[in-house]
Amino acid sequence: MATSAVSFGALVTLKELNPSSPHFKQEASLRVTGKLQEYDLETAIASISEGNASLKIDTQHLKVNLRIGSLYQFIGELLIDTNNEAILRARVGRNVDGMDLNLYHQSLQLLRDFQAEQINSRTA
Amino acid sequence: MGDLYYTHVKLLADDVLKLTPSPTDSSSFIFKGKRLSRAETVGIVVTRDFKPGKFVKFTIDDGSGCITCVLWLNQLNSPYFSRRNPSDVRLIAQVATSFASDVQLGVLARVRGRITGYRGAVQITASDVVVERDPNMQILHWLDCMRLARKCYNQ
Repeated sequence: MATSAVSFGALVTLKELNPSSPHFKQEASLRVTGKLQEYDLETAIASISEGNASLKIDTQHLKVNLRIGSLYQFIGELLIDTNNEAILRARVGRNVDGMDLNLYHQSLQLLRDFQAEQINSRTA
Repeated sequence: MGDLYYTHVKLLADDVLKLTPSPTDSSSFIFKGKRLSRAETVGIVVTRDFKPGKFVKFTIDDGSGCITCVLWLNQLNSPYFSRRNPSDVRLIAQVATSFASDVQLGVLARVRGRITGYRGAVQITASDVVVERDPNMQILHWLDCMRLARKCYNQ
C-alpha cells in the first residue's frame, strides 16, 4: 500500500554523519541525537555533539526550550553548503535527558541488523 | 502460535506500511501470512492536523517509517454512537478529546488502534494514545518489536 507523505527521519549518530556516509545527502531526512553545546538566540542555530562529532541545527521552526548541556533529539532535513558543511533544518525537536545513549547505540545496531535480515529473508 | 487477530501487535512502522489488505475480510490485514486487525506503535509525533469535533490526524515517526494515525472526535454527533448510552458516549468523547490534546508535535507517543486503509494507504485508527515521558520507551519498543517478530510473529 502507499506510504505516508512525510519522510521519516533515518536514525543516524553524529559520528556516522560525515561526507562519506550514505545519509550525508542534500535534503536527507534524519533523526539525530546529541548534547546541546551552543545556541544562538538571534539566528536560532544550535549545535549538538556526541563525543568529538557535532552538528549544527536550525531550530527556527521549533517551539522547544533549549538548555545547554541537555540531551536533544531532532528530526529534519540535512542542508549541505558548497563547503560541505551540514546543518539540519529541524522540523521537530525534543529533550531526551535520561535516555541511555549506550543502549540507544546498541539498539540502533540491532535494529539495522534486524532490518537487513528482513530484507534478506524477503529476497531469499 | 495462537491467533493474533485481536492482539495489538507491536510493529515497526516499516512493517505496518507493508501490510496488505486481506482479500477475504475487509477488517483485516495480512502480515507474514497472519491475519491482523490491531497494531501498537511508538514514535515521535511529526505532523498534527486537528479538526475540532471531527478528528485529529497525526503522523508517528518511529525511525523506521511514518504511520498516519487518526483519532476520531465526532462521538457526540456521529450516528454510529446514537444508539449507545449517552453518558458512555460523553465519556468516550471526553477521553478522545484528552488524547487529542496530548498529541503535540515532538512528543513520544504510544498509539494503539485498528489497522485501517484509507485511499490506498495503511493507517491506524487510534483507540488509545499515551504520551511516554521516558525517552527510553522508544528503544524498548524497537527491542519488543524485534523480539516478537523473531519469537512470535514468525512462528
